[in-house]
Amino acid sequence: MADAHILENVVCPFCGCLCDDLRLTIENDVIVQCERGCALGKAKFLHYREDRMLSSTLRQGSSQIEISLETAIDHAARILVEARRPLIYGLSSTENDAHREAYRLAEYIGAVVDNTSSVCHGPSIIGTQASGEPMASLAEVRNRADLVIYWGANPLYAHPRHVNRFVRAPGEYIRDPKAERQMWVVDVRESVTSRIANRSLIITPGSDLEVIGTLRALVRGHTVDVASVGGVSLDTLCELANAMKRAKYGVLFYGLGLTQSRGRHNNIDAAIRLVQDLNSFTKWSMLPMRGHYNVTGANKTSTWTTGYPYAVDYSRGYPRYQPGEYTAVDLLRRREVDALLNVAADPAAHFPRDAIRGLKSIPIINLDPKRNLTSLIASVNIPTAIAGIECDGAVARMDGLPLYLKKIVEPPEGILPDREVLRMIFDRVKEVSDN
Amino acid sequence: MSNEILLKNCSLFDPVQGIDGETVDIAIRDGRIVESVGSKATIINLHHRLVMPGGVDLHSHILGSKIGMARTMMPEYHRTDPVPRTDTTRAGIGAIVPSSFVIGYRYAQMGYTTVIEPAVPALKALNVWEELADVPHIDVGLLPMFSNSMITYHYLQNDDLSGLAAYIAWILRKTGGMGVKVVNPGGTYAWAHGMNVRELDTTIPDWDLTPRKIIRGLVEAVESLGLPHPVHLHPNNLGKVGNVETTIAQLEAVRDIKGHNGRKHIIHLTHISFDSLGMMDEGVPEWKYVSSGGLELAEYANKNDHFTVDLGQITFGPAITMTGDGPFQFSLYQMTHNKWSNLSVDVELPGGAGIVPYIYNPRSPANAVQWAIALEYALSIDDVWRCVMTTDSPNAGPFTQYPLVLSWLMSREQRKIWADKIHPFAKERSTLMDIEREWSFYDVAISTRAAPARILGLQNKGHLGVGADADVAVYDIVPVKIDLAKNPDRILSAFSTSFLTLKRGEVVAKNGVLAGDGPRQVHTIHPQLDPALWNRINHELEDLINRFYVHSFHNYAVPSRYRENMEQRSVIQSERISP
Repeated sequence: MADAHILENVVCPFCGCLCDDLRLTIENDVIVQCERGCALGKAKFLHYREDRMLSSTLRQGSSQIEISLETAIDHAARILVEARRPLIYGLSSTENDAHREAYRLAEYIGAVVDNTSSVCHGPSIIGTQASGEPMASLAEVRNRADLVIYWGANPLYAHPRHVNRFVRAPGEYIRDPKAERQMWVVDVRESVTSRIANRSLIITPGSDLEVIGTLRALVRGHTVDVASVGGVSLDTLCELANAMKRAKYGVLFYGLGLTQSRGRHNNIDAAIRLVQDLNSFTKWSMLPMRGHYNVTGANKTSTWTTGYPYAVDYSRGYPRYQPGEYTAVDLLRRREVDALLNVAADPAAHFPRDAIRGLKSIPIINLDPKRNLTSLIASVNIPTAIAGIECDGAVARMDGLPLYLKKIVEPPEGILPDREVLRMIFDRVKEVSDN
Repeated sequence: MSNEILLKNCSLFDPVQGIDGETVDIAIRDGRIVESVGSKATIINLHHRLVMPGGVDLHSHILGSKIGMARTMMPEYHRTDPVPRTDTTRAGIGAIVPSSFVIGYRYAQMGYTTVIEPAVPALKALNVWEELADVPHIDVGLLPMFSNSMITYHYLQNDDLSGLAAYIAWILRKTGGMGVKVVNPGGTYAWAHGMNVRELDTTIPDWDLTPRKIIRGLVEAVESLGLPHPVHLHPNNLGKVGNVETTIAQLEAVRDIKGHNGRKHIIHLTHISFDSLGMMDEGVPEWKYVSSGGLELAEYANKNDHFTVDLGQITFGPAITMTGDGPFQFSLYQMTHNKWSNLSVDVELPGGAGIVPYIYNPRSPANAVQWAIALEYALSIDDVWRCVMTTDSPNAGPFTQYPLVLSWLMSREQRKIWADKIHPFAKERSTLMDIEREWSFYDVAISTRAAPARILGLQNKGHLGVGADADVAVYDIVPVKIDLAKNPDRILSAFSTSFLTLKRGEVVAKNGVLAGDGPRQVHTIHPQLDPALWNRINHELEDLINRFYVHSFHNYAVPSRYRENMEQRSVIQSERISP
């Protein structure tokens, strides 16, 4: 116990909840204990030294050979300068200053820059662009909400402390959350979350839009002349619509079950319209269940820099926006891009097969702290520090609250934050393209 | 010395010094105005061009989550105005809600060098400071919102004015603010219950408080701290026909409060286009009975000197409304059925800010009357020092429309041309067409430079006396050679793009061509409290924040890493407040 200390109020860089009440014990510059976090957060803090890339590598044939950081930067810069249509992708699991460097580089080389919201809550943003969005804040949920609905979300798995911290916890005006706050879950199957809810509605997969449309009609007082919609009886839907109108302060949390199922952005648009309608009767807000801890931040930084939250193309020297066209999966499926700079994401693990074929056919520069499926196929790997553990930075919670991630321990020797590696690539790109 | 500049043959309008168009030379050293410079100074001969201090905008929404949400919602605006990168500038988008870089560029191109962001939720200030790094060329100040905060209410309900003042001081210090913004006091809070509070003496939900008590408490707290900028008020009952009565009642409610150090002005009323709607005799509060309340407010202003205003002038065409007034924004949504966003903010704005895009239609009777209100006011008041030209950008129109607003103020002919194009209510429901007054360059320099700097308490801004920051705007007209009132188009062209903009002695824009980022600062106020009071407030806020919010007291402050490069901190002595 030569050098042991405890850090309080640590922000957890795992999911969009950004719980900031964690307590870490550090011994000899190693995190040895994590209290108050969920299983996911604890795993991140306690296993941060596992599966690390500790040196830059260059792919030669089927093997990866270790190279110096300087050589890796040079290779990366040359790939980007030679590319005619480069793509910069990822960004949701790193801090905001890394994003800012990525946009500067994208602008300079005329790249497309896209973040992971194009495969998660991109449709939510398109819905907002159609209708706006009455957004909730998590403190106000805890303080005031008497009816909370999770739609197409399973927080006990994906955001394990969400229910406990915001819904089942007492707030200023909800002293007894069990008695005073109802929790409903709408999903296509039973889940661990639906089992602890006051009510659970199982709907037919792909029927969200019809169900929401019916709820809108019922909320507006129309009669609906069918026995059931989406496998749910009209009586049950009436009950839900009435509960929504009767609530004093309602909040709808929605997940990928709504954004990525049939209807996609139309589902979200309808949900937004439902919540907007409800505000003529009582107070309602909604919030997307953002997954990666800083995907909200990626949308924000992209928006203040370019005007657009994701899917931004700089090829004409100014930002253009078009989801479906400048989104990573679509570009790869069309074989439109000829180089990828991947930052803090694992597209090889998460993209559809067709897009992965596209990935395998182009040079990839991969910045990540850890080995993953993308690092296996990358042409150049550059390991980076873990934001919130080995370097600091600002991030945004799912409700938009900005929080500051502290640096807790030193990164492995020679490993730099994403932002510094991106700055080095930018400087090298300038040198290479000036010659 | 290479950092010395001499601007020769300036036709200078500098109301602080009483200079009204005289030809002078301006000497600059190390970014400041000095008496004289050496023979090796860089000489720029301006050949009698119009010179003013750099523009000071005291109310423009340029930073933070509201404008971010507005940008996210409105790609259709952005694509009309792509901004390509150049060797010295970054790419982005312009139009109504420009990207951060472009905001700095466009202000600099117009000769503006200082801009105040008037609505910051303090707990999101970190986000604001991050964005500030990407807003080039302009000095900035931030006004956090206090009037719907549960912590404000906690202190007011306990009649603890020391605690309230200390809470304000803590927020300004920890998040880098320069003053206190009040938005629909109590009404935005009531929006958490789906309600609004429109009148001064209506009790708000959950608390034994009224808007009167909230406004008075905040004004008293600001004066006890001695903040340079008085309370910045967006009143209750916004956007309601006849609300000039409520607005005057709110001004009247604080009239007896003594300003610190004998200052007269204890409240700044913002964007009067939205809060000075009159009503026809025998009318009811419906849009068909709307009339201009601009003259009524001007008459009140001419009799009472405890307040200042800014215009929030309607400019017609696309805009996007964004205010911390959630219930008003919802009523605007119900009226337009356009997009509507609401941003609840933990504890500080529980009901939430709102965002609704809006197109001011020249054919709309209501918009035509709104157009007349602020102009009628500005042309009817005795003292231009209490009247600042703004568009509440982008609420009544984007700041890039300032030259158009100036053309209305400076040219009766221009007002006639426009009044003939728009709905006749502008003529019928206001006295605007009878007003002959035309603002002079001197008036413009007061309203866009000297007055806002004085109202904000920025002593080195808004004038070019010795010691002032060398923020200078040069426009490509020779004042004696042109009668602008007869040439409104020249007003537009001259004020749209400066001939030169200097920021702290560096040329940042020349005929619209921009240099790289110039020197700039964020002005913050740092009240020093009695140590016992500072200690008390830290203990109490730890309890209150941990009770009301779902993030930690210890993660509330904006870390110095985001502030140290830009922050210009002014320490004020507030130790006399009893603990």
